[in-house]
Amino acid sequence: MKLSHLLTPSLIKVGIENNSKEQIIQELINIVAEEGLVTDADQAFMDVMARELQQSTGLEAGIAVPHGKSISVSDLVGALAISKEGIDFASLDGQPSHLFFLLIAPPTMSGPHVRALANIAKFSQNSRYRNMLTEAATPEEAFQIIKQAETEDV
Amino acid sequence: MSFKLRPEKIMVFVEANEESITAAQYAVCLARWLECELYAVYVVDIKTLQDLLKAKIFVEMEEMDYERDLEEDGERYLNHVRDLAEAKGVTIHTELCKGDVVAEMLRNVEQTDADLLVMGKLEEPESRRDFYYNDGERIFRRTPCPAIIVKEDEPVRMMYEQL
Repeated sequence: MKLSHLLTPSLIKVGIENNSKEQIIQELINIVAEEGLVTDADQAFMDVMARELQQSTGLEAGIAVPHGKSISVSDLVGALAISKEGIDFASLDGQPSHLFFLLIAPPTMSGPHVRALANIAKFSQNSRYRNMLTEAATPEEAFQIIKQAETEDV
Repeated sequence: MSFKLRPEKIMVFVEANEESITAAQYAVCLARWLECELYAVYVVDIKTLQDLLKAKIFVEMEEMDYERDLEEDGERYLNHVRDLAEAKGVTIHTELCKGDVVAEMLRNVEQTDADLLVMGKLEEPESRRDFYYNDGERIFRRTPCPAIIVKEDEPVRMMYEQL
């Protein structure tokens, strides 16, 4: 599933208010909860944290992908939070994370979940769009950058 | 693809979606009309799982967990396609493979010497990039045998029911 099919401007937040891993994940879950996409935000938080405790999803190049399976959603849901300054998310390269992609899938929907994660991985390899997204001033601008990245010719 | 006076083997590409079921219903109709054997193939996309592990998005346990989930999806869909074929008296062979979806499908088409490949509706391409990366697009373009894309679900469902 393409990121532009999963996200909308209302599921993107520019500027993060918190600076601990738990608080950032909570902030991301609040975004999807406010859109009515989770039935139990506490359960969703616990499920994402359970995965996070196995190994940090703070990757390299400023990307973090907290994710998990949860019965609190009936469809694959996602959110994006952007921090221009960067926040410590225990990333693999020790650098601050700027782009936080949240993905939560129902336990029976592994295929779309895997494809969405693969699309995030593909996006994260493109330093130009990664930097543009980090600098996005509004959710609408961030959404357009994602769409542009997905439609760019190879 | 070897020369035959008429098609003998029809293959249907099964994914975990409704479009595949429509394709399977159409393939069952074709197999019955043309007196062909039907082959249904589902590929567990191990390559993407391994890519996610390499990118460290997945941990090892997680990769195994998702692989099992995808395998169960495949078994469920193949069983459903088997039921669809058997209900209409069509001989069916099912195959669950693991690997790169495109490479495995093409290998199956060649190994089975399929005369026709039936596939579900493809995603609407939004850019030229989609032509390069979409598995269905790539299989459709590269298969050595004729291929059919089944588009409308309701007429096909009615056709299948009337068979």
